[in-house]
Amino acid sequence: MKPAVKIPGHKLLRTSDYACQYMTHDSPVHHLGAGWKIGICTLLSALAVGVRTPWELFALVAVTLIYYFAARLTPFDLWRDTRFFVFQAVIVICLYCIHSGLAKGIWPGIRTSVQVILFYIPGAVLLRTTRTGDMMRGLRRVVPYRVSFLVFVSIRFVPFFLRELDEIMTAQQLRGARLLPRQLLDPRNWGDLFHCLLLPLMVRAVKTAEEVSLSAEAREFGTREQRTYFEGVT
Amino acid sequence: MMQTNDRTFLWRRFTLREGIFLGFCATFIILARAGLRLHLHLPGHVMFFTMFFFLLARGCVPKIGSATLVGLIVSLASFLLGMGTKGPAVFVKFLLPAMLVDMAGYIFPAFVNSMIACALVGAVSAAVRALSDTLIEWLSGMEGEIILQKTIVTAGLFACYAGLSALAVPSIVRRLARNGLIDSGADEKR
Repeated sequence: MKPAVKIPGHKLLRTSDYACQYMTHDSPVHHLGAGWKIGICTLLSALAVGVRTPWELFALVAVTLIYYFAARLTPFDLWRDTRFFVFQAVIVICLYCIHSGLAKGIWPGIRTSVQVILFYIPGAVLLRTTRTGDMMRGLRRVVPYRVSFLVFVSIRFVPFFLRELDEIMTAQQLRGARLLPRQLLDPRNWGDLFHCLLLPLMVRAVKTAEEVSLSAEAREFGTREQRTYFEGVT
Repeated sequence: MMQTNDRTFLWRRFTLREGIFLGFCATFIILARAGLRLHLHLPGHVMFFTMFFFLLARGCVPKIGSATLVGLIVSLASFLLGMGTKGPAVFVKFLLPAMLVDMAGYIFPAFVNSMIACALVGAVSAAVRALSDTLIEWLSGMEGEIILQKTIVTAGLFACYAGLSALAVPSIVRRLARNGLIDSGADEKR
């Protein structure tokens, strides 16, 4: 996550790297429990699909934006979170205008597009204001430990495979494989992507899965119905 | 995958090794999504790698539920990592195509060995994934004809990308099997 940047003469700019990224902040929404946030998210999303008149829509836009900015998120964050839906909204409004004419199609197009965006904003607030750790604790209550183990293994190995990917790519590029981003824009080079990059990566994945499972099984992981912990830790 | 220890770990079906390998397939989907969101802005391109790894998971672990398990892990991991721009709808987004891949595997277990079958399953599963937004749009009161037109455009793009990537799956599965890294398709299990 990029740190907040202070530019002289400007407001504090809080930047996020991608949509729905968790932002550390001291806001009323951050202090709410995950259960409350899920409840508010469900209520606002349900209202978003139910509104029909312009006044209802206007009121819901206001409430949703107050909730969003109460989390001390910035318009930049809002753009990041809704950018995908804005592109979709353009398509929907164009289709309405083609279908019903500009005069009749513009309002229903805008209304439904805004409703779809409003449906997803509360979910973005939940993700932006709830720590991964809190979500993981919640996850452990509802997901069996064997599945959550696989989820955490999957997340834990992201940096490992990123390094592997980088090494394989460098080695294959030295062998002449066409794997540069601009080379991959040409579909004729996609064969190199699959056979020089993804195939070695899968071989590495198979081998690593074997090593990790052997290591876990040697510690008798998964032999009991309930999750067990190493004695030294407990 | 090659077996040395047959003790099942999950759902009385997958060994720990298979489970971890499927978790790694989920890791690759997350990596691809994270990488693509930084570089490309083409609609539907994300299905290129998503369907590729769903199909590859089914090819390497030829058991019913393998793609669904990958879908479940990706959904949960995306949600935890804050990558699900659509909130809880991310579960439908990943589980729906994954379940279709498994369904295809149930009907035609050897489909991962055929390029045409793979492309077909990949394209259909990806196209069905486009339906995940349709319910929200319908509930929002969008006109049926508009929903249909939009779904056709989105589904078409998803299907194109997924179909293209699916073409590479049979050759990769064959090469992994030839080198003894996974079981050959002869003893596929339902």
